[in-house]
Amino acid sequence: MAGPLEQFEIKPLAELSLGGIDISFTNSALWMVFAAVLVTCFMTLSMRRGALVPGRWQGAAEVMYEFVANMLKDNVGSAGRKYFPFIFTLFMFVMFGNLLGMIPHSFTFTSHIAVNFALALVIFIGVTIIGFMRHGTHYLRMFFPEGAPIATAIILVPIEIISYFSRPFSLAIRLFANMTVGHIMLKVIGGFVGLIGILGVLPFALLTGITVLEFGIAALQAYVFTILTCIYLHDAIHMH
Amino acid sequence: MPQFDIATFSAQIFWLFVIFAVLYFLMSKIALPKVGEVLERRQKTIEDNLGKARALKDETDAAIAKYEAALAEARDAAQADIREASEKAAAEQAKKTEALVKKLSKKTSDAEKAIADAKTDALTGVAEAASEIAREATEKLIGVKVQAKTADKAVSAIVGE
Repeated sequence: MAGPLEQFEIKPLAELSLGGIDISFTNSALWMVFAAVLVTCFMTLSMRRGALVPGRWQGAAEVMYEFVANMLKDNVGSAGRKYFPFIFTLFMFVMFGNLLGMIPHSFTFTSHIAVNFALALVIFIGVTIIGFMRHGTHYLRMFFPEGAPIATAIILVPIEIISYFSRPFSLAIRLFANMTVGHIMLKVIGGFVGLIGILGVLPFALLTGITVLEFGIAALQAYVFTILTCIYLHDAIHMH
Repeated sequence: MPQFDIATFSAQIFWLFVIFAVLYFLMSKIALPKVGEVLERRQKTIEDNLGKARALKDETDAAIAKYEAALAEARDAAQADIREASEKAAAEQAKKTEALVKKLSKKTSDAEKAIADAKTDALTGVAEAASEIAREATEKLIGVKVQAKTADKAVSAIVGE
């Protein structure tokens, strides 16, 4: 029987390398493609008719659009409008990645710290660039709040700097930990079902409940990832 | 734990960027503008229809106001006509009544005069008859001839009492 960590293994499907760097097409990449294709199909096929009175699929696509649009508007305001395509892509990509991971024998690319951290780093660097472009060196005031007594700088500035630079880590690790732990738990409890005979109905019932919970977490963590990005974007555009 | 196998990082990150970039392109250039356009068109249709409904309502209100004004005018005219007619009728009636009253009062006064004349005649007749009876009675009873003048005086004194 496979161990609980086997599901996270990266398996190359096609060995590739670019200038000595390994860029093999792996199972991770395959499921990213699935997610991207599903998101694209969902958002284009359901809107194909563009009906005035939407049907079920069109209604669902519109709900996703308006959900992310409202999230961005509530957290960033109208200045965030031009980042909408990025935020939307981010939310759909992460959410579909999380949800596809719920299919047995699939691969959850969001359970990998490398993927999450790369995304988080892009967001972190992008947000920092936006901050400096909008505010110039004044953006450094992020590390020392307006109106605080100058004597507190010695404590506040290091705290603010640490909190600012820990953003990509918290963003990446939160998603990684949630996805990884959930999937390990499902696997371990799933292992008990077969092992203990008739009593296996108990872990099976638990497994059912946890599966429902994991679906909720899949959507929720995508939401958390996106809303934190929105909050960072708000800080960059409006400062504190 | 496979997540910490650094050897796999480059491949994961490379494909993440490629696939994410493609998805970003598809969303920002194709999928999202279409959704935005549909939502905007719906919003516009709703607003257009609301505007149309508002215009129609204004039109209806104006028509109702016009109708009510016409109705009020007609009612006023009708009431004026009724008033005029009833005043005319009342004046005619008053005239007729006055004429009748005049005629009746003339008849009444004529009749009263006739009654008064008849009463006077009758009273005169009665006084004459009384004085003659008195004179004849006096002559027959005591044999005294009373002058007609004296008897008349005595009768009128008694009647006058």
